Amino acid sequence: MTAIDQWVEAAARQMARRVGRRGFLSRLGRAIAGGAIVLPLLPVARGIASSVPHNASGRDPDLPGDEGDPTKCEYWRHCSIDGFLCSCCGGSQTACPPGTEMAPVSWIGTCRNPADGRDYAIWYNDCCGRGMCGRCFCNRNEGDRPIYHPYRSNDVNWCAGASSQIYHCSTALIIGLAEETQPEK
Amino acid sequence: MFARCLIVALLVVATAAAEDVPPDDVGRSLTLPERTDHWVWLDEPLFRHAMLFDGDSGEVLGTVDQLGSLTGRHPHVSRQRGETYVMETFYARGHRGERRDFITIYDSRTLQVIGEVEIPPRTADVGHGLWLGAVLDDERFFVVFNQEPANSVSVVDLESRRFVGEITTAGCALVYPAGPRRFGMLCGNGTALLVELDEEGREKRQATSEPFFDVVTDPVTEKGVRDGDRWLFASFEGYLHAVDFSGDTPKPEAPWSLFTDAQRADDWRVGGLQHIALHRPTGRLFSVVHQGGKGTHKDAGSEIWVYDLKRRERIQVIEPPSLLGVFLRRITGIDPDSWSAWLLETLIPSPGAHSVVVTRDEKPLLFVRHRETGAAGVFDARSGEFLRYLEETGLGGAAMVVP
Repeated sequence: MTAIDQWVEAAARQMARRVGRRGFLSRLGRAIAGGAIVLPLLPVARGIASSVPHNASGRDPDLPGDEGDPTKCEYWRHCSIDGFLCSCCGGSQTACPPGTEMAPVSWIGTCRNPADGRDYAIWYNDCCGRGMCGRCFCNRNEGDRPIYHPYRSNDVNWCAGASSQIYHCSTALIIGLAEETQPEK
Repeated sequence: MFARCLIVALLVVATAAAEDVPPDDVGRSLTLPERTDHWVWLDEPLFRHAMLFDGDSGEVLGTVDQLGSLTGRHPHVSRQRGETYVMETFYARGHRGERRDFITIYDSRTLQVIGEVEIPPRTADVGHGLWLGAVLDDERFFVVFNQEPANSVSVVDLESRRFVGEITTAGCALVYPAGPRRFGMLCGNGTALLVELDEEGREKRQATSEPFFDVVTDPVTEKGVRDGDRWLFASFEGYLHAVDFSGDTPKPEAPWSLFTDAQRADDWRVGGLQHIALHRPTGRLFSVVHQGGKGTHKDAGSEIWVYDLKRRERIQVIEPPSLLGVFLRRITGIDPDSWSAWLLETLIPSPGAHSVVVTRDEKPLLFVRHRETGAAGVFDARSGEFLRYLEETGLGGAAMVVP
């Protein structure tokens, strides 16, 4: 392998790491946010075991690196998110930015917390009433299903359940331990 | 004295030049040229419009708005009526106030708005933007998928330009045209639904198929392609399902695998946004594929595999060009004929493609597109030869429509 080949390969690997679904182009603010719908509350209730304490906003103290940072796509709760991260938009992973309204219903993910190895049910409630935030776009699809299965679909604009259907960003709220494992696990 | 002579000379020259170039008319707008089979509409979610490109020249021909949705609801076309339709949502005060939804009607030749039909303010808003609306076969009725979050379908009479009514379709989503008075839907229990209309566009009957896929373990993606009376859907795990909507009840056919065991062992799978396309005259199916694990069903594909549907085998592999390279070249203003442009397009690894669509004619073009940049390229769909880029398609977007 020549030096040029090696350089090209290194550049290719570096770029490949950067241009994936979580890549810098996404961070430019590409759209394709995800939203929300329906919500057969029944399936939600079935998916949740006993209640566990809600995490406060901010970094997960037990997790070093990106898996503990809610402004990163790699944050553990983001395993099925599709949209702009509210933590980058003046809000947090559990609260909407000022002036926006949290939609009451959303799609649900099941994400494994690397800190304790347990699966948690996550609600990706959208924040609505302002135009798209445009920061920290993140699309991960673990457990995502097509829109005919709405409560598992991150493609829908879930602001449909809010007073304004204008999508701004997405949160990631723990609603409890998951009884059902994620389909991909 | 010299300066005075110079000024006089310049005035003479300027006057002569002004006389050489005739004045332009003010207030002209062009109309589209005669339609060819190689046109394509490209959605642009950030600019909230769709842009019409000529695949043969790569040039832009015109634009329609698509306001009020997450990523755009692409244009629909009636060739017979010479009209183009866009489902739009408006709020009284920009992002606030009362919501009202419309089918906006454009003249397909002038792209002037020539009418609108108000529909219930429940039009579905979905990231991929596909099959949220459809013109039925004889082009009299337009159907709109609603999600608020309850599912239903609005019917619009294109002849009288009026809203006919709303049909409840609990648990079923999207609209797949299947005849002059019928359309199909996919349902959350793994079945397909057939909805039949009467001559006035009102609900005549509904019929549900037997379950034919597992919603949790191997769901079909909603990005189907039409094959006459049948619709083809690929599953997450790479099985091609067909559903025949021509009878009283939707009839699913036995699926077949798009991958060999060896290919599965190498983690090849389908994925992307508008990830399959069908050229009916040749029976060729184009499928965006990549290597990845479960949960990567929306990732870009590194290759496009071409299948002969009759033989049920792969006959060709097409590699998308460096759509990231051409995107960066345009936004950085680099001359396309420069060495810098060559370096960008050659050395930057291709991010692959999310979407494919193919024209319907006998010399078909294949369009490929990358969602996060919106960049697009054009291939000869028969030979697989790369022909050109569609330049400056916007800043993002995946959906494409051949009018």
